[in-house]
Amino acid sequence: MRWSAVISLLALFLVMRAHFSTGQAAGPEADLPLPTTAGAEPGEALRPADERFAAAGGPEVPSFQRHVLPLLGRLGCNGRACHGSFQGQGDFRLSLFGYDFKADHDALLGGDDEPRVNRKSPLDSLILRKPTKTIPHKGGKLINVDGWEYNLIKRWIEAGAASRSEAAAEFEALEIEPREIVFAKPGEAVRLRVRARWADGSREDVTPLCRFRTNDETVSAVSDAGVVTAVGPGDTHIVAFYDNGVATVPVLLPVSEQNGSRYPAVPTPTRVDELVVAKLRKLGVVPSDLCSDDEFLRRLSLDLTGTLPAAAEVVAFAANRSPDKRAAKVEELLGRPAYAAWWATKLSDFTGNNERIGPQGGEQGLNRAKARQWYDWLYRRLRDNEPYDKIVEGIVLATTRIKPGQSYAQYSAEMSAYFRTDAPADFAARPTMPWFWARRTLGAPEAKSLSFAHAFLGVNLQCAQCHKHPYDQWTKQDFDQFAAFFNGVKYGPTDREGSKAMLTAAGFGGLDEDSGTFKRKFVDLLGEGKVLPFKEVTVPAPAREDRKPRKSAKAPAGRVITPRLLGGEEVVAAQYDDPRRPLMDWMRQPDNPYFARAFVNRVWAAYFNVGIIEPTDDLNLANPPSNKELLDFLADGFVSSGYDMRWLHRQIANSRTYQASWRPTATNRLDERNFSRAIVRRLPAEVAYDAIVLATASDTARALLDADPANTRAIGASSSVSPVRGGTNYAVGLFGKPARAINCDCERSADPSLLQTAYLRNDPEVFALIDRKDGWLKQLAADKAGDPKERVRQAYLRTLSRLPDERELAVAVGHLSAAPDAAAGMRDLLWALINTKEFIVNR
Amino acid sequence: MFPKSSYCDGVTRRDVIKVGALGALGLNLAGYLRLAQANQVAPAKGKSAIFVFLGGGPSHMDTFDMKPDAPAEYRGEFKAINTNVAGVQICEHLPNLAQCADKYAIVRGISHTLAGHELGTEYLNTGNRPVPSIIYPGLGAVVSRELAGRPDLPHYVAIPSTPQKAGYLGVRHAPLQTNDTPTPGVPFTVRGISLADGVTVADFERRQKLLTNLDTTFRGFESDSKLVDGMDRFAQQAYDMISSARAREAFDTSREKPEVAERFGTSKFAMSCLLATRLVEAGVRFVTVTFGGWDTHSGNFRACKEKLLPPLDQGLAALFTTLSERGLLESTSVYVTGEFGRTPKVNDKAGRDHWPRAMFSLLAGGGMRGGQVIGASDDKGMGPAAEAITPDQVAATFYHSLGIDHRKEYHTSTGRPVMIVREGSVIRGVF
Repeated sequence: MRWSAVISLLALFLVMRAHFSTGQAAGPEADLPLPTTAGAEPGEALRPADERFAAAGGPEVPSFQRHVLPLLGRLGCNGRACHGSFQGQGDFRLSLFGYDFKADHDALLGGDDEPRVNRKSPLDSLILRKPTKTIPHKGGKLINVDGWEYNLIKRWIEAGAASRSEAAAEFEALEIEPREIVFAKPGEAVRLRVRARWADGSREDVTPLCRFRTNDETVSAVSDAGVVTAVGPGDTHIVAFYDNGVATVPVLLPVSEQNGSRYPAVPTPTRVDELVVAKLRKLGVVPSDLCSDDEFLRRLSLDLTGTLPAAAEVVAFAANRSPDKRAAKVEELLGRPAYAAWWATKLSDFTGNNERIGPQGGEQGLNRAKARQWYDWLYRRLRDNEPYDKIVEGIVLATTRIKPGQSYAQYSAEMSAYFRTDAPADFAARPTMPWFWARRTLGAPEAKSLSFAHAFLGVNLQCAQCHKHPYDQWTKQDFDQFAAFFNGVKYGPTDREGSKAMLTAAGFGGLDEDSGTFKRKFVDLLGEGKVLPFKEVTVPAPAREDRKPRKSAKAPAGRVITPRLLGGEEVVAAQYDDPRRPLMDWMRQPDNPYFARAFVNRVWAAYFNVGIIEPTDDLNLANPPSNKELLDFLADGFVSSGYDMRWLHRQIANSRTYQASWRPTATNRLDERNFSRAIVRRLPAEVAYDAIVLATASDTARALLDADPANTRAIGASSSVSPVRGGTNYAVGLFGKPARAINCDCERSADPSLLQTAYLRNDPEVFALIDRKDGWLKQLAADKAGDPKERVRQAYLRTLSRLPDERELAVAVGHLSAAPDAAAGMRDLLWALINTKEFIVNR
Repeated sequence: MFPKSSYCDGVTRRDVIKVGALGALGLNLAGYLRLAQANQVAPAKGKSAIFVFLGGGPSHMDTFDMKPDAPAEYRGEFKAINTNVAGVQICEHLPNLAQCADKYAIVRGISHTLAGHELGTEYLNTGNRPVPSIIYPGLGAVVSRELAGRPDLPHYVAIPSTPQKAGYLGVRHAPLQTNDTPTPGVPFTVRGISLADGVTVADFERRQKLLTNLDTTFRGFESDSKLVDGMDRFAQQAYDMISSARAREAFDTSREKPEVAERFGTSKFAMSCLLATRLVEAGVRFVTVTFGGWDTHSGNFRACKEKLLPPLDQGLAALFTTLSERGLLESTSVYVTGEFGRTPKVNDKAGRDHWPRAMFSLLAGGGMRGGQVIGASDDKGMGPAAEAITPDQVAATFYHSLGIDHRKEYHTSTGRPVMIVREGSVIRGVF
C-alpha cells in the first residue's frame, strides 16, 4: 500500500481539532491520521516491519542490523538492567544499547546447551521461547507467539540468522514526521512516522522498530508505538532512536489563549528579541515588563563583571537621562578589568584549570604557579579581546618550545625565567598556553579526548568510552577514533642527557625526582633565577610508523583506528605536523556543529540561568536547543564577527529579553527555559563572597578593589590558585565553587544550602568583614553628624543597589533610633541587608 | 532534578518513579530481593555514625595488628598485650582500648594499591577507588542524604575538618567544619552555629526581627521560584539551629559532666571524641573526627609512643565507653581507619613508609559485634593472610549497619548511574 493510500483511508477518521503552525493536525486518541507534511516523499520508503513481517512466512528476510537488533533494542533486551549489563543476564550478554554487531551476533548464536538461535529447529530458539515466556524468563513476557515481532525473529532464523554483511549500506539518517506538533488541548494525540535512510538510497518506515522518549512527561507523553499525547501546557521534544540515528520533534501546548494571532503586541527591538518572542508567541507566553534601571545595572554588573555596583554608580546611572545609557553601560563594563577578571575565571572553569592536578615529579612544586599562569594567560586575552578561536588555538595547539630552532637549553632557560621570584618573565605574552596538556589526570588519549570534547565542544563522550551512547549518535568506535587524535600527545621529558647535566650542575646529584627535597629545591632554585630543565609538551612526529593507518596490535579485532572528527571525516593525521591541527581546523569551520555553539550557549547560560541547550555541556542530538533559531543566530553571528566575545555579550545584554523584569506575568510564571522573564539566581560562589566584601568596604577600600580585581578579589586569580593560608576558601567552597576536577559544568553549583545561610547569618568571617578597619562602618563612625535617613539610603545602595522604598526607610530608621547606639544600629542594618535573599541573588 | 536526556544508562525519570515504592526503603528491587533471600532485611540498628580518620596512615604493625613472632626488623619496638577479649592482643601503648576490646571489632588484612596520601584518603573516605571522571561523595555526605536529621541541628559535622567532599550529591550535603577543636573547660564555639564573639541572643533576635521586616522583596513570589522557596526553608532552619539551645549545648563540651570529661582527658583528639559523642547524643547524623600525624617515615616508634597512641587510646576508649554507658553504641556506627598501613619492615630511620597492601580498621556499634577480629594479615604483616578485605567492603559493611544499601544507585550530574559503593559487598561476619 502506498503512503498516499494509507493517508486517504485514515483520513476518513480524521477529526480536525487544531490548526498546526507548520504541518500536522491532532486527532482523537484512536485511529490516528498519518502525517501528511509537505516535503515528505511518500511511496518510496519500504513499509514498516510490523506489516512486512506480520505473516509467519514469506520471501522477505529480515536484516540483522535493520530489523533484528533494533527490535531487541526497542524491547529493552540490550538495556542496562537486562542483557546489556556488563555482566549480562542469565549468561547472555548483548552490547549495551547495541552497535557491536559482531559481539551481539556471536552472543545470539552462542549458548552452551540450548542455542539461543537454533538454526536447525528455529522454533526451539531461546530468543523465541524466552521473550514469549513459553519457558521462564526473568525479563517477563515481551512478545506474543505469532506476533509480528515473533515472526520477524523467526524468519531471520529460518533464513540462516545471518549477521550484518560487510557490504551492507551504512545507516545515514532518520527522518521523522510531523516536523512539529502544536496541540490545542490536553488529551490530543498525534502518531509519529519515522523513516530511516541508508547510504544506498533505500528508505524504510522504521516506526515500529524505534525507541521513543519524551523530554518532559508533564508536557507530553509518547507510547511505544509512537503516539504522542498532549499532557499539559509547555514545550518539549519527543525523541526517536533507531540504529545510531536520533530524531526529534518539538511539541508544544500553548500556555494561554494569547497565542498566534491573539498574541499581544510585544516590543522586539533586537534580533534576539524577535527570535525569543517568535517562540513565546506560539507558546502563548507574554514576557515580563522591562526591568528598572537599578535592576538592570545590578544584574548586568554581576553577570558581566562579577561585581556589585558601587553606591555612587547606582546614583549616577539613575540620574543619567540619555536614552541609550543602558547600551553605553554595557560598553563601559566590557572595558573594565573586572570583566576580564571574571570571565578569565569562567574560561578557567571551562578549560579545567586546576592546581591540584598538575604534573607530578620534579615540577610538582610549580603547580600553583602554573595555575596562576594559566589564569593570567586567559586574563590578558580577555582584557585585549582576543578572538575566542585564537585563544582556543593557543591552548589546543600549545607546544612548549615556541621559537623556531630553540635548543633544549634555551627552552629550559626561557621556562625557568617564568618562575624566578625577581622580575619573572611575562608568561601571558607567550603565544601558547601548554598546561592544558600537562594535567596528570589527562594521561591517556581517552582522558584527553573526554576533556577536550567537554571544554571546546560541549559534548559529553563519557558513555561512548565503554558503549554506544544511549541518547546520541556516538558509538564506541566513534569514541576510539576521536581519541586517536590524542595518541602520543604528552607532557614529559624529552632530552634526558641535557636534563641530567643541568641538574648535576645545579647540585641535584643523586636526588630522587619524586622526593620532597628535590621538589622544594627545584622551586627554590628557580626562584633564585637558576636555569633548570623542564619537561615538554610533545606531539608525535609525522614520519613515525604508528601514525599511519595500519593494523595495530592495540586495536580490537585487528581493526584500524584512524582518527576521525566527531560526526565528520576520517583524517590521515600523518599529513599534519601536529595531529591536533586538523581538529582545530575542523572546529573553525563555520558549519562546525559544536565549537561556536558550545561557547555561545555557555555565555547565554551565564545570563539566563539556563542555556538554550541545557545542560550546557550536553550538546547531543536528543537534547535539542529550546530555541534553535536563536542559537543558530548567535552562533553564526559569533563566527562571522570573528569570534568576538564582546559582540556576543552586546547581543545578549542589549536585548530586551535580557532586560526583562523577574516579576512574572500571568502567563510566564512557570517558564524557566524560554527566557520570558529574568530568573532569580543565587550569585556564583566567588561573586557572592566578593559581594559581601564590596558591600561592607569603605569607599577607599572599594576603589582599591576595583582597580585590580584579578589580584584582590575572589573572582580573580584566587579562584584558580588557593591562598597559601586560609583566606576565602571556606566561603567560596560553601557557595559551590567548582573544583575543576572532572569534565562537568555541573561542578559549579548555585544551589542554596543550610550552611550558606548559617554563614551569612552568623559566621565570624562575615562579622569580621562588617567590622573591619577599612570597612564602611568604620568610615561612618568617623562622621558623627551623619543623617540616619541618608545612611539607610547608602546602606541600601551598597547592598541591594537600589534606594529603599518608604516602608523600608521607615523600618530601618526606626530600628536605628531604637538601637542601643548608632554603631550597633548600623551594624544591624548592614547585617540584615546582607542577609536578605535579594542580596545574595541576581534578579 | 537532572534532565533525563543525559542519563547515560537509558533510565528515564519514569523508570525511577516505578521503583519508587521500594526506592523509599533505600533499595532497588533487585537489591531488595537479594537481601530478602539472604535473610538480611532486618531493621538496621545504626541511626548515627562517627567516622574517625587517622590521616597519614597509622602503622598496623604497631597498633592493632601486632606481629610479636616476626623478626625484629619487622615487629618493631612495641610489645603486644592481652585485651579483655580472650586471644586478642593489641599494642602495649593502647591499655585503655585493651580494656574495652569487647566493644569494637578489629578488621585486619585490608588491602589496596594506592600508596599516595591523596588517592588513598579519597578511597577510604568514600569506599570507592578514585577515578578521574567522578567526585565521589564522602561517607558523611551519603549518610546525611540517606538518614533524615533534626531540623535544628546540622546533619553532618567535621571536627575540625575533613577531606570528604559532597561530590555529585551537591553542596547541601557538605559538612559543617568546626575548624577547631574544643579546649577543656572552655565553652566551645563553632562558626555559623554558636553566636559569634560578643553577640548575645538579644542581639541576634533584634537583628532577626529587622531582617524579617526587610526581607520582603520576594514575598508572594515564593511559589514562582524554587530558589526563593529553598532559601526561606534554610533561613528557618538556620534560625532554629542558631537560636536553639540544643545545638549550642551539644557543641559546648564544657557542659559535660566532670567525671565523663575527665575520662576523655585534655588532648585535642580526645576532646574531639567528646564533642562527637555529644553531637551524636543530641541527634547529629554523622560526625567525622580527623586525627593527623600518622605519616611516620622516620622516628615511628617515638612518635607513636609519645604523641599518637596515648591520645588515640584515651579518646577512642572514652568514646566507646561513654557511648556504651549511654546506650548509644547500639544505634551509633563507628568506623576508625587511616588511608593505608605502613611498611612492615622498619627503615633505617626507625620509620615505616606507606603500605597499602596491609592495613587495619576498627568497626563498632550499629549492630556490628565487638570483641572479634575479622580477617588477618600474613606472618610479617606484608599482605592479607588469605583473601584480602577491600576498603570497599568495609565501607559497604559500615553503610549496612546504618540501613543504607550500598548498591543503591545515584545519578551523577552527567547522568551516569553510580552505586554508593561500586565494588563492595557486606562482610557477613561483622554482624
